[in-house]
Amino acid sequence: MKNIEFLRNVSIGMYVEGDSPVHRLSPAAKYLWLLALILPASFSGSAPVVGILAAACLGFALLARIRPRTLLRGFLPVLPLVGLAAFLQVVFTWPQDRSAVLLAAGPVSLTVREVLAVLAMALRFATLMLALGLFTSVITEGDTARGVEDLFAPLERFGFPARGLGLTVAVAFRFIPIVAGELEAIVKAQAARGADLGSRKGGPIRKARAYLPLLVPVTIRALERAEALAEAMEARGWSSGPRTRYAVSGGGRWDVPVKLGALAFAAAALWAGAVFR
Amino acid sequence: MERSSVRRIVVSGALGAVSVVLAVTPLGYLPWFGGASLTVMHIPAIVAAVLEGPWAGVSVGLIFGATSLVKAAVAPIGPLDPLFTNPLVSVLPRLAIGLAAWAVYAAFRGKFRPVAAALAGAVGSFVNTAGVLTMLGLTAAAQISGVFGVEPGALPAVLAGIAVSNGLVEAAAAAVFTAAIVSAWKGVEGASGKARLAREEGEGT
Repeated sequence: MKNIEFLRNVSIGMYVEGDSPVHRLSPAAKYLWLLALILPASFSGSAPVVGILAAACLGFALLARIRPRTLLRGFLPVLPLVGLAAFLQVVFTWPQDRSAVLLAAGPVSLTVREVLAVLAMALRFATLMLALGLFTSVITEGDTARGVEDLFAPLERFGFPARGLGLTVAVAFRFIPIVAGELEAIVKAQAARGADLGSRKGGPIRKARAYLPLLVPVTIRALERAEALAEAMEARGWSSGPRTRYAVSGGGRWDVPVKLGALAFAAAALWAGAVFR
Repeated sequence: MERSSVRRIVVSGALGAVSVVLAVTPLGYLPWFGGASLTVMHIPAIVAAVLEGPWAGVSVGLIFGATSLVKAAVAPIGPLDPLFTNPLVSVLPRLAIGLAAWAVYAAFRGKFRPVAAALAGAVGSFVNTAGVLTMLGLTAAAQISGVFGVEPGALPAVLAGIAVSNGLVEAAAAAVFTAAIVSAWKGVEGASGKARLAREEGEGT
């Protein structure tokens, strides 16, 4: 079985060390801007609005001194999809399409509206990729969890467990290498006992059954470790009383205006997306 | 036994990590007939809901959804991956997994536990499939019909077909996995030292 070393290929975003104005923002401000950029982009297909969002992403990338080209590495696999969509736009016509015809060959025609639709779609993918890629490049692992806590902190007075959610994310980050390591050990152990994982032999049901002795022990081991961690935290009095933070991350005097700016930007972009269809 | 909030939080985090690891390694997919693959990445969310309640299920679903969102943007593999850069597709339906699984488990908890867990697994999994396909149909109708090569008008039928063919098999797989994990864990928990020894001694005499 190949690919037995799972940890080697684990890559979900990479923090790029830097000291730019974007890096120095507080984690909550980074989250707010991420949401302000991706939510309007996912709700609205309007080309001008998505164009402005893409421009904002590019601006942030320049400000963070991260090359947009590295963020758009993932765009290549999308191109066939864009091509297919373009093909379909050409073959099928929109009902009530009265925009100018650019190209026509028999029953098939390409109109301005169809070109705009394909461009808007490609631009939307690019925007979402830029925003998410940039976010993972400027936020550290610890800040990802602290940001969740800060982001939901205003909801805490309504009983929302913001602190708990932040800790859940922090624990998940801490457990990822552990779980990956254990999965590797279990796969090796099962392979040593003759499990034929990843072989071409046998029907799908047999292959699916081979996963049972992987998934069950991995989950049980993770639960056992979680149990030990929970007991250790309780023994140290985690859940009694308010908590202070050791790491103080970012912000400064520009933090509040930047956060308010994100909210205003999100509202404006959502409004524009709803108005300009 | 009284469940503390620390325990619920930490267990959610650990199961979230399992879901992340499954999502970024090839083990998140089971090979199935005709090149199609079944996902098992949502099973930790179901297990969390069954073991620690709805909040845990929703938090693990959030972690799973956020992982698939980031993975789709940073390292897309398949032709459908870019559509998951939309949080309405990748995050929103995943929050429902835990709620549905917990509701079903709570309704049947009094009965035989593995059966309740299996039902929770099946329903949670089907909610995932149906939710993701519905959101795909709502947000990206033009693009998916391009991927499947069908007219946009025929899309609901195609998506329903996938929901039935893939979704039901996935639900069955999730039922088996959830029941196996939950009964294994409850067995470990109930038997920490004493209970199982006592039972074995009882059988011996």
